Amino acid sequence: MMSESSPLTSHVLNTADGVPAARLPLSLHRLDPRIMIWTLLSVGSTNEDGRCAGLISREAFGPGMYKLRFETGSYWESLGQNSFYPYVEVVFTISELEQRIHLPLLMSRFSYSVYRGS
Amino acid sequence: MSVSRLQQLKGHIFPENKITAMAAPSPLSTHVLNTAMGVPGSNMALSLYRQDPTTNTWSLLTSRTTNADGRCPGLITKEMFIAGVYRLHFETALYWESMGETCFYPYVEIVFTIIDPGQKYHVPLLLSRFSYSTYRGS
Repeated sequence: MMSESSPLTSHVLNTADGVPAARLPLSLHRLDPRIMIWTLLSVGSTNEDGRCAGLISREAFGPGMYKLRFETGSYWESLGQNSFYPYVEVVFTISELEQRIHLPLLMSRFSYSVYRGS
Repeated sequence: MSVSRLQQLKGHIFPENKITAMAAPSPLSTHVLNTAMGVPGSNMALSLYRQDPTTNTWSLLTSRTTNADGRCPGLITKEMFIAGVYRLHFETALYWESMGETCFYPYVEIVFTIIDPGQKYHVPLLLSRFSYSTYRGS
């Protein structure tokens, strides 16, 4: 998979432990505006560096409403800990054919932040 | 003065069913801050849902609008605040639209688990057009 050309990438960081969040499952969904239903596009998980690419091809990543769902609860469980958030879903709008969207997630058991990066 | 008249007057002065104290503060609170402009996120619509554990469906508990300070006092009562999974839904795009701006996030949803409803939970939203963060506060 040519991750360099992947139009959508993410990077999950465990800010509590100061490490990348490795092997965190995530999924990408797109809203079908005609019936207002979320369609699952792909699933993946972060690598050892907490990164994930190749969730969608450039051609498929057209204008629309997307949802990136991070299985943060499962992640913390695998570390033997609980978390305030069972999962994190980030819903965002793509208004034109985007070159690159980078959506990092910085998280601890009791906080998280997301931003549109580069 | 007759006993019944005295009782009537007593009823005016010490109404037994009048709630004289302020309602207990909500065990769940939120605070929206517009970090881009350094102001509270006022007049933002939000909704609170609770998930039914058997059917996994969401029930709307309340729909509110943040006040001038970006807060929603009295969001939920102690009686309604049982253990479970809750969802706070913030109408972020509508908020930015009202100021003539777009927002990367059409809405923000924060899903959180309440194990001990006896504690106080503060779930703020710090928001700009292209970023947001939340944390469990006090």
